[in-house]
Amino acid sequence: MTPILLYDGECQVCRTIAHWVEKAAISPSGAPGIVVRAIGQDPAAIRRLNPNLDIWEAYAAPHVLLADGSMKRAGYAVTEVFRCLPGTKWIADILAITVFGTHPFQAVVNAAYVVLADIRPLLGCSSCGRPSGWVRPLLWIVNQVKRLFGGGHTVAAAPHFTSLDHRRKSG
Amino acid sequence: MNADERQEDGITTLTGDTFERMVLQGRGPIAVEFMSYSCSHCGAIEPILQQAAALLKPQETIFRVNIAVERELAQGFEILGTPTIVLFLDGTEIGRVEGPSPEISSLLAQLTQPFAH
Repeated sequence: MTPILLYDGECQVCRTIAHWVEKAAISPSGAPGIVVRAIGQDPAAIRRLNPNLDIWEAYAAPHVLLADGSMKRAGYAVTEVFRCLPGTKWIADILAITVFGTHPFQAVVNAAYVVLADIRPLLGCSSCGRPSGWVRPLLWIVNQVKRLFGGGHTVAAAPHFTSLDHRRKSG
Repeated sequence: MNADERQEDGITTLTGDTFERMVLQGRGPIAVEFMSYSCSHCGAIEPILQQAAALLKPQETIFRVNIAVERELAQGFEILGTPTIVLFLDGTEIGRVEGPSPEISSLLAQLTQPFAH
């Protein structure tokens, strides 16, 4: 089985990255090194791909499903994508380097993934939920700059509530 | 239950086609969660809602509507964000909870108190 990259098809940023991966995955023989697939809305379909993955977890982070039944998620999924693409396998090899029992380069990728996931609303995602606390001031600045320079469109947080304190936070 | 009323867990997912029969023509107290799988807060309350559904059955039925699929239904009920739980009594909306608390005691109160009046 060819590895499968599952991504959030509702997120514009994720779609852009997924399309890039899809193009880059074509090997000289024509066979893709990885299959790119939107998660969709069918929980049973996700279970069929891997019984250990539910649709909520699938949406929480990108996953790469491997032929042996294992999965990689978040930053580790990014590395696995590098490993599957014909032109970027060398990056995965570098990320696998061990220093004193740790994987420092993988740690950088994991951190970069967390940052990228957080700033998706700044990059144009309107379905990524309420931005993290540290992103909200940046989002406000981006919207003010757009207003100042005549852009009518503002970067909107997704219509999700995050009311851990039971107050409506966004609409 | 037909193919449009899917139950992957303790809560049945409704579509635009089944909503009228199951909710608007339904009897007794019914709660409908308008949600989306990509909404992290929906994911956070999911296990609590499952617990609530099990505890309230059969006095009250809880259904789910995925707004990523049922956009017209969500617009029709003026759903401004997810999760929103709309409460129906004999097919008539009597209240709604926007961004419900992910605590079982609080959620149970939110799901039952409107029906007590």
